Amino acid sequence: MENLYIKGSQDVFHVPSVKFDAQTGICEISGESYLEETVDFYEPLIYWLEDYIDETNGAITFNFKLSYFNTSSSRSILDILNLLKQYEENDGDVIVNWYLDLSDNDLKEEVEDFTIETDLKINLLPL
Amino acid sequence: MSESREIKKKKETKQKKFNLYEFHSNFADNIQLSYKGPFTNNILATLGNYIKYVFAENPKASKKLFGIFIELCQNISFYSAEKNHFYQQNNNSNSGIGTLVIAEYDDYYALSTGNIVKNIDVIPIIEKCELINSLDRQGLRKYKREQRNLPPGERGGAHIGLIQIALTSANPLDFEVTIIDDEYSFFAITVKVEK
Repeated sequence: MENLYIKGSQDVFHVPSVKFDAQTGICEISGESYLEETVDFYEPLIYWLEDYIDETNGAITFNFKLSYFNTSSSRSILDILNLLKQYEENDGDVIVNWYLDLSDNDLKEEVEDFTIETDLKINLLPL
Repeated sequence: MSESREIKKKKETKQKKFNLYEFHSNFADNIQLSYKGPFTNNILATLGNYIKYVFAENPKASKKLFGIFIELCQNISFYSAEKNHFYQQNNNSNSGIGTLVIAEYDDYYALSTGNIVKNIDVIPIIEKCELINSLDRQGLRKYKREQRNLPPGERGGAHIGLIQIALTSANPLDFEVTIIDDEYSFFAITVKVEK
């Protein structure tokens, strides 16, 4: 299974960087997320995770390093978290970390809302 | 007599001509940024970068202003009833027309946007703003989580732009509707960000 790499950019839109590693199961998404076609960007990420789970049944460490995401992106992030929660419920080995500036209370609250909604443990870690 | 009246009339018409100096000086000194026109992707990017840059000395307020700016101005880009059709047809991209003003006060910034909306859309917007203003922070967060679970809107939206704006601002939404005619109204919203 191949790794998934997307190089982020901050041109007209803010495209996050993506590094999903099929060997280690370490998946990282970083930068800012404000996109022209949000669903088109996140769909391949979801498909990759589904394939990884189907093919390897391996552990996933998901590291979020997003410092900003608009509300459309937040919906897609929720889709990723729901998928991870589902995997965890099916005995998948899942760790989710969110690296952030711990003084950013707005972002902390948003991550907390993801936890409340998905019932998935998200570790808050300093950037 | 009639000739002089004509001349006078001409003069009056001349005086009513658009006066750019008046327009320019009508802006109060506390206005940091004002823009009226199409909200294309490129213009959103430029204004967004400008906001990040100009308010950078206050990172917290800058981040809040940027987030609120994106949600409000994307709404204009997608949903304004007034559009630049030339741009939209040739770039196959949104270009809703609206106005943005950012003003600075002693303790806070005020980001305002306005755009034309169809009258049939006015009541749902007002009801949403009123509901948002009636909720406390925990209520808003719960409302946001519920709305985010609904199927996406026609533009892939999450239905939570205004709710997120209220959470980011931590102040009520100050909105006003001016009826233009049988079909259209002007919707204006002002959001405060404390310094």
